[in-house]
Amino acid sequence: MKLKFLLALLAVFSLVAAACGNDDDGGGDTAPAPEPTEAPTPEPTETPTAAPTEAPSTGDGGAQLFIDAVLSADLDNCGTPPSGDPIRVGMAMDFSDVVGFVDIPGSKLVPFIAEKVNCVGGLNGFPVEVRVAEVGDDAVLATQELLDWGAHFLIGPPFADFALPILQTTEGQVPLFVAASTEPTLADASINSFLVTFDDYGMSGAAAQWAWDQGITRAIVFTEGEGIPYTGINPDAFMAKFEELGGEVVSVQTYVWAADTDFSAQVNEIAGISQNNEVVFSAALGFQVTALRGQLEGQGLDGLTYIGTDALDATGIQFEDNNEGIAHTPHTSISPGDRIDTMLADYEAAKGEALDSRGFMALYVDSMFLGFQGILDCGCTNPADIGAAVAQIEGFQGLTGEITYAGTNGIPPKAVPINQIVDGVDTLVATIG
Amino acid sequence: MTELLQNLIDGLGRGSIYALLALGVAVIFGVMHLLNFAHGELITVSGYVAFWTISEGWSWYLVTPIIIGTAIVTSLVIERVAFSRVRGSSDFTLLLTSFGVHFVVSAIFLLYVSASVKTFSRPRWVTNTYSIGSLHIEVFDTVVIGVTLVTLLATSWLVQRTMFGLALRAAAADFDTARLMGVRSDTVIRGAFALSGLLAGIAGVFWLMRAGNTVPSAGIAPMLKGVLAALIGGLGSLRGAVLGGFVLGLAEVLLRSRLPDSVASLTEGFVFLLIALLFIFRPQGLIRVAHAERV
Repeated sequence: MKLKFLLALLAVFSLVAAACGNDDDGGGDTAPAPEPTEAPTPEPTETPTAAPTEAPSTGDGGAQLFIDAVLSADLDNCGTPPSGDPIRVGMAMDFSDVVGFVDIPGSKLVPFIAEKVNCVGGLNGFPVEVRVAEVGDDAVLATQELLDWGAHFLIGPPFADFALPILQTTEGQVPLFVAASTEPTLADASINSFLVTFDDYGMSGAAAQWAWDQGITRAIVFTEGEGIPYTGINPDAFMAKFEELGGEVVSVQTYVWAADTDFSAQVNEIAGISQNNEVVFSAALGFQVTALRGQLEGQGLDGLTYIGTDALDATGIQFEDNNEGIAHTPHTSISPGDRIDTMLADYEAAKGEALDSRGFMALYVDSMFLGFQGILDCGCTNPADIGAAVAQIEGFQGLTGEITYAGTNGIPPKAVPINQIVDGVDTLVATIG
Repeated sequence: MTELLQNLIDGLGRGSIYALLALGVAVIFGVMHLLNFAHGELITVSGYVAFWTISEGWSWYLVTPIIIGTAIVTSLVIERVAFSRVRGSSDFTLLLTSFGVHFVVSAIFLLYVSASVKTFSRPRWVTNTYSIGSLHIEVFDTVVIGVTLVTLLATSWLVQRTMFGLALRAAAADFDTARLMGVRSDTVIRGAFALSGLLAGIAGVFWLMRAGNTVPSAGIAPMLKGVLAALIGGLGSLRGAVLGGFVLGLAEVLLRSRLPDSVASLTEGFVFLLIALLFIFRPQGLIRVAHAERV
């Protein structure tokens, strides 16, 4: 309660005021302008300062994060360290080679960004702490460890196998951001579980729309089976949308996700029906799509268009051979010098290590920022109240785009970027939605 | 008919790799009575070597012998570090040791390299095809089948016509008696691991050419294929291992192609169902092994 009281007294601005060192873009790319409050927002300052201001917390959604300022914080030149009870960010992460490709780099980046938040004065003057608990074989134990520690909100791993036990443990009392997942079943605002990005339906529906917009009317779809999370639901969603648009799915092939690289049997069947003008859709990984494409081209089918999901970002389709023209649906389209690229470069410079899975990293940072926004909005630190506030977030300008939870079940209706390899470069060619 | 022939060729190509893997498993089982679940780690290690070398711009012509050499050295190191210390222990201890090796190798790459998939270029010819009538045959399948046949003939010659082969066969038949007759256990066991590594290395080259990627758990799939093929053929039988490999490859491709679309996604399940049925009616596998004594 004491912390809550202090939060109510100490308005937002240790982060806000301190963070506005770069006032050229200090607010332009971040959250929308707050509703006018009785306490005016202090003018941005040139030099970060850690001291909390006397401006009261609005507690009504008026407070906002200045993400750019946090990202531009210089860790070698921090202000007064924040003090008081920390805001605790729990990360229940899987480090196996199932999800470790995103959770390992994500669990390195978030603490780094938390350092930056503390560098500019913390959140409302309170320090931010991040604890990472490895899910391993026991997600319940890892989650309980974080709850016992006093986590105000959690960032969890993708895939239901890992995330559902976490939800069962929190029992909806602590907000969970499933950072890198598109599985719609993991989102449920009523139990404080939120996706940070679009879901499978949004993603694969956008892929179908893009294919249709290219004038393609026939589709070949690879699936692991109807209704199977991710590897089946994405193809289901693609087919539903493509047929709704008037397209025809001429062949549905099965394969083993993340394993098959020999598609001989499927290619033989496709060769018998293809008109060499179809779109080939799957949720397969990059090395699978290029292997499939090679075998299809070996059969003379060189007029096909390939589009995949965010799975092509997992291995980085841009690094594959024979990738020209392949399209995919990344979570964010990173350009050299943009703020995500700069953030990742900062990490590399500070830690001496380049992070894998670059396309997913901003989702982890956005997860933390969304939790912060919930705290700022409610002026509270009770996890359940934070969750309720998160559920009402509207128009949050995150690193990965605009995020709104109000009126949804925890799936933000985000626009889907369509990237394509053009002249060897991964290029944003469309945005759907 | 054309599609069936096409499937048979595809199945033989896939089965050839399985045969090489199974043969490596069978060689070790023959002399040590060890079902080596660490066999796939030879491909994991080779995969990362392929990733590092190809990323540096080395061609597959250079990388191929390096992969094979890596598999041989890794096999010998695993024998030296792990299995030599439990030689003479129970089958169960050996089995657990092999699992341990699998997990340790996997964890090393997970902790010290990356959990992410590491991709590398495949040779361009892997997906090239040529036509015979209405058949479109992959160059890759042709090369795999050809190299496998040559390897099998060479292995057969090694086992049947050399002193090492004689020692290997003697050890497989009755290790204690073989030692009494002058066969040096260290030599024959290390030779068996080197041969197993060589076979895994050749299989690994083709596996990695097709896969174009590696991860810390990359060894699981080839290990499972190799062990399954060896079991199908009759554990301990070298001929059986080869036969099991081809049967497994053909079963996978034919089932995938022939099953109705509605259940095609269950191909792997049907393969295991067939294997289960085989073991119900022929628990010893396709070829019965008379002797398989443990060291």
